[in-house]
Amino acid sequence: MNGIHDLGGMHGIGRIVREKDEPVFHADWERRMFGLFIAAFAGGHYNVDEFRHAIERMDPAEYLTSSYYEHWLHSLETLLVEKGVIKEQELEAERAALAKGGSR
Amino acid sequence: MTLLTPDMVPTVVKTGASTRRADEAVAPRFKAGDRVVARNMNPIGHTRLPRYVRGKRGVIHQDHGVFVFPDTSAHGGGEKPQHVYNVRFETSELWGPTADRRASLYIDLWEDYLEPA
Repeated sequence: MNGIHDLGGMHGIGRIVREKDEPVFHADWERRMFGLFIAAFAGGHYNVDEFRHAIERMDPAEYLTSSYYEHWLHSLETLLVEKGVIKEQELEAERAALAKGGSR
Repeated sequence: MTLLTPDMVPTVVKTGASTRRADEAVAPRFKAGDRVVARNMNPIGHTRLPRYVRGKRGVIHQDHGVFVFPDTSAHGGGEKPQHVYNVRFETSELWGPTADRRASLYIDLWEDYLEPA
C-alpha cells in the first residue's frame, strides 16, 4: 500500500529528534496499551502483519499527528471491530463514558 | 480461545512475536553476492517493500533465513514462508547523482520482492 507510512526519501518533515534517556513508556496508558497488544495477540485475534496494516490504513492526517502508541490503539480497535470481537457501538459507549470523566 | 498466562509473557515480550520460521525447509533462490533488482509493484494491500527501492538494482549481502511473508499474512493468505535477504543498494542508484556516493543502504527484503538482475 502506497500510504503515508512509507516516508523514505520524503523531504520537508524535519529532523529526527532523539530524546535523551528516552523512557520505555511516556505515560501509564502506553504501558496498558502494550499489555493489551500482547494479550489480544496471544488470544489469536490478529497477527503482526495485520496489526501493521491496520496502522497503514489510518487517515493520513491522523497518522502524522498521533503518537506511536496511539497508532497501536487505533490498530487494536480497528481489528477487534473488524473481526467482530467488539462492536463499534461498545467502543463509542466507552469513549462517551470516559469523556464524562469515568475511568476504566 | 488461547489465553495469555503469566508464564508466557516474558517469551512473547522478548521475541516480539517473531515471524521467523527456522524449521521450514525452503530452498533459497539467491546467495550472497548475487545481483538483484527489486520488483516494481504497487499492491493496495500490505507490503514491506518501500517505494524508494522499487525497480532499483542491488546486491545480496546476507541471507537471514526463512520468515513469514507479510504481504499474504496480513490478508489471510497464509504464511508463504520464504528467505529474507539483507540487500545492499548504492545510494546513487536510489537517489541519483546528488546522493552521497560514499554511502550504501542495507535493507531486509523478502524473496518475492526480488528478481535476478
